[in-house]
Amino acid sequence: MKKLSLFSLMLLALWSCGSGKNADAESYEAALADTKLAQPQISKEVIHDILQQIPSPLEISVLLKESGTRYNPAILNNPKAVSQYNTSYQKAVNLGVYGTDLGYTNIYEQNQDAIFYLNSIKQLADELSIGQFFDFGTIKRLATNSSNLDSLLYLTTKNFNNINGYLQDQNRANLSILILTGGWLEALHITAEVAKANPDNAVLIERIGEQKMILDNIMLLLSFYSESNPNMAHYMETFQPLANAYEKVQIIHTYAEPTFVEVNGMLVVKDNSTSEVKITAENLKEITETTQAIRTKIIN
Amino acid sequence: MKRIFATFGFLAIFVLAANTAFAQCSASDMADNCITQMSDGFNFVKSFPIDGEKGAKNKIEYSYVFAKGTEYAINICTTGEAPDGIIVSLYDSNRRQVTTNQANGKLFKGVVYNCNSTGIYYITFTFKDSNAFCGGSVLGFRR
Repeated sequence: MKKLSLFSLMLLALWSCGSGKNADAESYEAALADTKLAQPQISKEVIHDILQQIPSPLEISVLLKESGTRYNPAILNNPKAVSQYNTSYQKAVNLGVYGTDLGYTNIYEQNQDAIFYLNSIKQLADELSIGQFFDFGTIKRLATNSSNLDSLLYLTTKNFNNINGYLQDQNRANLSILILTGGWLEALHITAEVAKANPDNAVLIERIGEQKMILDNIMLLLSFYSESNPNMAHYMETFQPLANAYEKVQIIHTYAEPTFVEVNGMLVVKDNSTSEVKITAENLKEITETTQAIRTKIIN
Repeated sequence: MKRIFATFGFLAIFVLAANTAFAQCSASDMADNCITQMSDGFNFVKSFPIDGEKGAKNKIEYSYVFAKGTEYAINICTTGEAPDGIIVSLYDSNRRQVTTNQANGKLFKGVVYNCNSTGIYYITFTFKDSNAFCGGSVLGFRR
């Protein structure tokens, strides 16, 4: 559980921040000048709500652990590639990618690799002038001392709203979306690679199919900015083939009344509804390959 | 003179009572502290401040994608032991209520939901006979 918590912690750490009051606004403006854009028609609250819906990679990491797959650094982005990301957009999306990679290395207790990814994350965060939100020292300490991780995870998670609010105030919530998108894409890529090595793992495959719902949200978020920003439109176009591939996945919900019992002062509810993901081997292959193609574009 | 003391005494008691009932709501702090109340064996996912703005706001809603085969626990934290009239209700993506902490004539401090259908769920907090209209909540999961 500790490792799993840390997996999430590492990704969420990307979003973490202190009070946000020490931000060097001038430096921030300069570093992110090319990302400034007109506010979308959609309210901040709606964007915030959609961002909040995106599940933590922590949950999918449980499945990775259960699959028993061995650590494979070859499926991760090269931490040394950090220097080739020049625009704020590339930096933001790869910040998300590295966050997920960091979590992956941590699940497998590859501390040396974790340090490499931490360094890359720090560099990107600094270059985006959001380094002040990233408590590198604390994260490093947490990586080597995993006691009471739930509390520590909470401490970093709670700051997500602050950094997102800060970016929104700067009219740059698009960067939040790109960080999230990069993290999600890398998690999907890793999961797809693990599924490839475990073709009989139906739960893992179903979870890949379920990502259709998350991708819908991501496409929605990207669409909010696509009209006002050509770079965001480019990312939306980049992800469109994946959305097309997911169109073929069906998620069927069947509703049934839940039942409940009382256990230790808590109401325990059993969901009698079901959802079934219909994904063929061909769909899965297309999703895996499309994910790979998009990721290649993004990390290179 | 007695009347003045009585009047001030009454006012002091009234103000004190009002302060107790409508003290500043530190919903974020309560959400912070609520993690310690998370059910055993659950991993932290998110926490939610519940600020009913002294009764002016009767519904606070959050949403999250729940995954099939996963058990979720939602705990409510207040300044006391009881949930202080805070009702948590969980709705599926079709806005059908799937659970609430109000059952069997009681208000529970939390619910555990065994999710069998992946989708967006809406977690809403409402108030019934609440004194402070203030609390925090934590969402955890386990497989």
